[in-house]
Amino acid sequence: MTSVVLPAIIVAVIGLIMGIILTIASKLMYVPVDEKVAAISEALPGANCGGCGFAGCDDYANAFSENPDLSPSLCPVGGADVAAKIAGILGVEAGDVDPQVAMVMCTGNVSVTKQILEADRLHTCKDAKMFYGGQWACTFGCLGLGDCADACNYNAIFNAGGVAQVDKEACIGCGACSKVCPQHIIDMIPKKKLVHVACKSAVKGAITRRACSTGCIGCMKCQKACKFDAIKVENNLASIDYDACKNCGLCAKECPTGAILNQRVKKAPVQKPAAAEAAPAQA
Amino acid sequence: MSNEKKTSKLSILTKGIIKENPVLVLLLGTCPTLATTTSAINGLGMGISTLVVLVCSNIVIALLKNIIPSKVRIPCYIVVIAGFVTIVQLLLKAYLPALDSALGLFIPLIVVNCIILGRAEMFASKNSVVDSALDGVGMGIGFTLALGVMGLIREFLGAGTAFGIAIYANTAVAPAGLFILAPGGFFVFALLVAAVNYFSGGKAIKKKEFGCEGCMLVDTCGGVAAGGCAGKEADK
Amino acid sequence: MTGILAIMMGVILTNNYVLSQFLGICPFLGVSKKVDSAVGMGVAVTFVMVLATAVTWPIQYLVLDRFGIGYLQTIVFILVIASLVQLVEMTLKKYMPPLYKSLGVFLPLITTNCAVLGVCINNINDGYNYVESLFCSAGAGIGFLLAMLLFAGLREKLEDSKGIPECFQGIPITLITASILSLSFMAFSGVVDGIFN
Repeated sequence: MTSVVLPAIIVAVIGLIMGIILTIASKLMYVPVDEKVAAISEALPGANCGGCGFAGCDDYANAFSENPDLSPSLCPVGGADVAAKIAGILGVEAGDVDPQVAMVMCTGNVSVTKQILEADRLHTCKDAKMFYGGQWACTFGCLGLGDCADACNYNAIFNAGGVAQVDKEACIGCGACSKVCPQHIIDMIPKKKLVHVACKSAVKGAITRRACSTGCIGCMKCQKACKFDAIKVENNLASIDYDACKNCGLCAKECPTGAILNQRVKKAPVQKPAAAEAAPAQA
Repeated sequence: MSNEKKTSKLSILTKGIIKENPVLVLLLGTCPTLATTTSAINGLGMGISTLVVLVCSNIVIALLKNIIPSKVRIPCYIVVIAGFVTIVQLLLKAYLPALDSALGLFIPLIVVNCIILGRAEMFASKNSVVDSALDGVGMGIGFTLALGVMGLIREFLGAGTAFGIAIYANTAVAPAGLFILAPGGFFVFALLVAAVNYFSGGKAIKKKEFGCEGCMLVDTCGGVAAGGCAGKEADK
Repeated sequence: MTGILAIMMGVILTNNYVLSQFLGICPFLGVSKKVDSAVGMGVAVTFVMVLATAVTWPIQYLVLDRFGIGYLQTIVFILVIASLVQLVEMTLKKYMPPLYKSLGVFLPLITTNCAVLGVCINNINDGYNYVESLFCSAGAGIGFLLAMLLFAGLREKLEDSKGIPECFQGIPITLITASILSLSFMAFSGVVDGIFN
């Protein structure tokens, strides 16, 4: 009998000791967690798939403590249910949160810019950037080799004639493309905003003009045209403050090179409600 | 959820053999796969030992699933599995000492075989005893088959024997001893996984796009995007 | 001294835990995609291995052998290792948050890593004394780190290759790379003997 009881007791004692040590340790070394973060962590499916663009469900939950405006609907596995739960925990309406989408800030396709280096052996944007800043005349623009498309799990970004372009409807705003772009020209912008400066060229206007016919030359016509102080030119490059921008599109009209894109123009009937929303807001 | 439960008993049994073979599709339990397949008998022996532990632990965990509190479930599962591994260890030492010395360190390492803990976490803790047992049998058979096939290939190419019977071992054709050694193991495994990819049209591995099926660290691991999981890496 | 050095060299080069002994393959294949995470994982594994040996070696000789219950080795070892890792994780989280952020993510992965349990059992089977065991574990961890570092470097280059046939993409080509790396480590088999004998 002792040959059974003794080992059982020893194992039980070892287990008990470890259990006691762990319990004491967990009390002594208690790290206070943000309750909301813990609740969000519970609501998430726990699959740690990375589809939200963060390194696992816990990482996404933690991101809320740094950025309370983060979209609650980034989880593809959880879908609408989880988005609603998270929105409830955060105390916002799931619809109130501004959905973000990615946008490639470059219009340099093959017809407006030119290739100045042999690019046969370059297969990724990362490689191209290391190779004298890329095979295109403009060193700030899109390299067109598809690192962003490879990173996207939702088929929302594709190659449109040598420059990457985001399908706004397919994009869920996870930011994977933005993180992987070596040129850092993919910005995360509020889905509702329709006017964008699609250029990141920070060199003098004359040089930009030579490299690409639709690049921003820093002429400041947009800055003068804007009635809401939403666009400023700094370092030979215009940039829009999306909080002040009212989607009116005046700067885009004034831009001589076409560097500012007005997404209203292409789909006028669909965008009218957004413009109507903006008009009473400014009144 | 109810649809999943209605899947027939037969499908639970057979999915572990081909469609969700733990080694070649889910890519779990790679350590014993590479180490113990130096011959077909060793591979089969390892496979059967793991099958026994898998079935027994699945049954016990399914029986105890409502009693074990959620926070301490992983250590509890580990203790149950370790118990059965010890039983198998002692049985092998007593009745099959040749197999025991061939498998060596890898018998006690069955306890950290991801397949067993993974199935316990993913399946046995949520399903009935019968279903869990069937799942254990299915996965165990799949594991054994994969190990057997790999062991046979390595033994044939590396020693010229099959199941211990000399095929061309004593003839003028010299076997490629490298296949019995470490590099050979990696190589044959690579070819087997490539073959599975080819015949399933890439569907097998691509299935793991989201979720970490069979992985017990699903809610503790650093996440697929941080590189903490072998699963998603498979389809990039 | 030479004894310890021989043990360490043996376990880092000739009997590399990953490439010769096939322990710790799952994290080897999973975490070695980037050099940073590979280094983090390697360091974490070394740390856990040394700590685990420090605790399990005395338990084996002072508790299990004393009472003649050596057969409980598997159960007791794995329990101790699991609890130890949990403890380490809590300590890191509380006292060294930046370290926890970089390494902590790997710790649950290491608990059920065959390499840790493997090194503890190997030390007992090889009959090393306490000091030798500790150095052997450190060596095993360093060997793991070395293999992972080399492999991560190789994989980063492999990522950009576009000529791989579809059925070989992903795990198969990774495994073939591992087999070539393992082959190169086999070349060390004469070195350690030659130096120390």
